[in-house]
Amino acid sequence: MAVITLSGITKSFGTVHIIRGVDLTIGDGEFVIFVGPSGSGKSTLLRLIAGLEETTGGRILIDGTDVTDRGPAERALSMVFQSYALYPTKTVRQNMSFGLEVARLPRAEIDRRVNAAAAALKLEAYMDRKPAALSGGQRQRVAIGRAIVREPVAFLFDEPLSNLDAALRVDMRVEIAKLHQRLKATMIYVTHDQVEAMTLADKIVVLDGGVIQQVGAPLELYERPVNLFVAQFIGSPKMNVLAARREGELIRVGSGAVPLPFATSRPIAHIGIRPEGLEVVSSGEGHIEGKVDVVERLGSDTFAYVIVPELGTLTIRIVGNAAGIALDQSIGLRLAAGQIHLFDTEGRRIAEGD
Amino acid sequence: MGIVGNTTRSPNFRRNRILLTAVLCIYLVYTLVPLFYVVTASTKTNADLFGTFGLWFAGEFNLWQNLVDLFTHQNGVFSRWLGNTFFYSLTSAVGAAIFALLAGYAFAKYEFRGKKLLFALVLGAVMIPQTALVIPLYLMLSKIGLLNTPLAVILPSLVFPPGVFLMRVYVDEAVSNEIIDAGRVDGAGELHILSSLTFRLLMPGFATVFILAFVAAWNNYFLPLVVLSTSENFPVTVGLSIWYASATLGSGGNLLFTVVMTGALVSILPVILAFLIMQRFWQGGLSAGAVKA
Repeated sequence: MAVITLSGITKSFGTVHIIRGVDLTIGDGEFVIFVGPSGSGKSTLLRLIAGLEETTGGRILIDGTDVTDRGPAERALSMVFQSYALYPTKTVRQNMSFGLEVARLPRAEIDRRVNAAAAALKLEAYMDRKPAALSGGQRQRVAIGRAIVREPVAFLFDEPLSNLDAALRVDMRVEIAKLHQRLKATMIYVTHDQVEAMTLADKIVVLDGGVIQQVGAPLELYERPVNLFVAQFIGSPKMNVLAARREGELIRVGSGAVPLPFATSRPIAHIGIRPEGLEVVSSGEGHIEGKVDVVERLGSDTFAYVIVPELGTLTIRIVGNAAGIALDQSIGLRLAAGQIHLFDTEGRRIAEGD
Repeated sequence: MGIVGNTTRSPNFRRNRILLTAVLCIYLVYTLVPLFYVVTASTKTNADLFGTFGLWFAGEFNLWQNLVDLFTHQNGVFSRWLGNTFFYSLTSAVGAAIFALLAGYAFAKYEFRGKKLLFALVLGAVMIPQTALVIPLYLMLSKIGLLNTPLAVILPSLVFPPGVFLMRVYVDEAVSNEIIDAGRVDGAGELHILSSLTFRLLMPGFATVFILAFVAAWNNYFLPLVVLSTSENFPVTVGLSIWYASATLGSGGNLLFTVVMTGALVSILPVILAFLIMQRFWQGGLSAGAVKA
């Protein structure tokens, strides 16, 4: 089990700077998830930790030992790849034992570990099959099994569920969560799926443009995003962001206005409000006015997309089937005071007391 | 209207098909007629060779006698030539395929300084005919004292630029970077990854390069002609051409024409056999299921 420390990590491919200075400490037994859009550098950062790419600058420490210049095998990590990367010509058993054979472990020890992993992952019936004869979920479990048998100091996952269909993805997500509970190992997991991030992580690292935007517990990121990027990246449907300007104790948004939720001296450029922070009221009674454009009824929830003049389309989440909402209906919207996020001209969060 | 393919009944399709079939038939005839001539000629006596229609068998079936003549002429030196050709071709092809594999793999999977330039050189080398290199090779081999040794034929044949190009393309297709990365995380060295994880995925490509290099070496004529000087080192190509030359000069008598034809027939059989044997390695799709669904 391990503490992994990144200090001042940079990575450039020629003149393209992928990682622009990352400092991060990943605690022992923590489940840390890197999220970010395509090109944010999240996979590159994982590969740097794995030792599959060389850093351009900075140092990587595992349990206090500098491993920056060590090869992947010497770092004693395991990695699960997006494509599973099983060895196609080897059986499931050989796939799992290969790394141990390379490490010249005694045969009995190899068999013990492989059999234990196979039992834990319910793979015993498939041990003599080749990967081509397995389903997607089984291949994924073999890839995880191959990672487990190495008894690594930490596990690295590179978008491990993105090739699975939706139902299987939920199952495997739960299995990975259980695996973490059982092994209590340090895990670093890369995904662009923020549902995976919210449900699995102890700590989420939001990356954009090769820079860490925010590090924190899932709900902390949801409730107190430090900037507009995080605010809009975490949460689904994403947060509504409205251009705003202060007028005394009011915040003017489009043709409407809301009361200032808390005192602040900083200039306000945008306000953010999550879809569940908007309440539908009769036309004329809301802070702002709009017209219903699209309604999506999911049964438990309803998402309404409302066109508001000067502000664009706002997403509203209503619990239940929202029978009272019809297309093209003019409605009023109230912004729940406790759910308004304020952002300054640079897109940074304005906290209470700033 | 969208794009619609011709149905099999449309006049357009029929016209195209007939044309295509005709062109292919001409090509087939062009390819097979010389081969057929060799087959018929090797069953004839010398008299019949010149006295009967070339593309059909003569009344007298003389193949066995021709074979006996072939393998006994000049104390059976033909067997020696056949053995030489086999040895040169096999070592050249194995070597060329291994070098092409290593070079192609490096070009496909590693980043290094000068990669583009080096690959451009490989492509350039594909364009240069081997024949153009024979004289410089002769001078080099002469300097290091390898003239008239098997190495004089084998060493130049190990360089097989089309193989490098083929392997690069094949490695790109058949081996995912993630499998290599997985091997690295598992602690295997690069050669170990190649030999035990990825080589079997590359077997079809390797077999293709092997057979191409094998045939190229088997048919090589000009290089051995120039760099070899004693009969016991000759491959079949050079040996037969010398017999042929002596037959036309009349010094060995007309007997040699049928022997040369029979020798030609015997010399192409192993190549056909090699193709048939290697065919089973061409089956692709070994990597199916390893990566993605």
